[in-house]
Amino acid sequence: MRDLPREQQPSRALEERVVSTLVAAGLVRRRRAWPVWAAAAAAAFVVAIGVWVAHPARPAAPGNTYVLLLYEDSAYRPPLAGQGAERLAEMRRWADSLDARGTLERAGRLVGPGPIDGLFMVRAADDSAAARIAATCPYHKWGGRVEVKRFED
Amino acid sequence: MTDDLALVERFLRARRDDAFRALYRAHTPALYGLALRLTGGDQTEAEDLVQESWVRAVRGLSSFRARSALRSWLCGVLVNVRRERIRLDWRAVEGADVEAATDTSDPDDALDLERAIGALPEGARDVFVLHEVYGYTHSEIAEMLGIVEGTSKSQLTRARTLLRNALP
Repeated sequence: MRDLPREQQPSRALEERVVSTLVAAGLVRRRRAWPVWAAAAAAAFVVAIGVWVAHPARPAAPGNTYVLLLYEDSAYRPPLAGQGAERLAEMRRWADSLDARGTLERAGRLVGPGPIDGLFMVRAADDSAAARIAATCPYHKWGGRVEVKRFED
Repeated sequence: MTDDLALVERFLRARRDDAFRALYRAHTPALYGLALRLTGGDQTEAEDLVQESWVRAVRGLSSFRARSALRSWLCGVLVNVRRERIRLDWRAVEGADVEAATDTSDPDDALDLERAIGALPEGARDVFVLHEVYGYTHSEIAEMLGIVEGTSKSQLTRARTLLRNALP
């Protein structure tokens, strides 16, 4: 009796049907490509962030390095059509302002499964100062979460 | 088991479709196989059953505590979804099922064995399939179906008797 097949493949369409049903019920969120502001940043970061990263000679400001992790979890509101460029511009203005103050050390995206979409490494005097920097990140406005961790070599 | 837990935790972190798809692909062939057996090979009904079971499972996944294997928990969800559907279906008159089980023609054909299993009364069929085809223990079946072990055993005996009569 146990020779009877136990596993069988349903139609390939079923997977999409199930996912669509779950998305419609609010039980699953579709994974977008890297948020639009950052998708463009794959190119833009090469230019913009690449410039920031290319400042190894800049003397480190006093304090510690902190990592700001950008989480796109359930509360995150993806950009509507046409809002992507606006978000990208806002993120870039924010990053530029950090860079202008000598605060930004590095920025980039994290590729792979999991809710963390990007990171910024900043220099801050202490935990409170790092939290204040994180609080200014526009990512919050869109429901994203920014987690702050002190980085130790 | 560990892999399953990792998949569940990964999914629950952000409820993203890519994490769900990993769970889906790991377990759907087993769920669909079970659904086919419970529906007597009706592919449309089996796919509907799998779909509804996933919706139910995802709603309850945060309460899954690895007390049992994820696979058996999911199979339990599917069997219970099927049972709820049957209760809404006028065709699920137990007597009619028994009659169908004993009315199987050409018992030498494996297809008829499957048909006979599909025509068993609901409780007997579920236990029979889970125990004889899927190899679950009475203890696991009892947990899946929310019954006591003794009921699982007696349903299995009942199923075997009905099949013996249907398939000489």
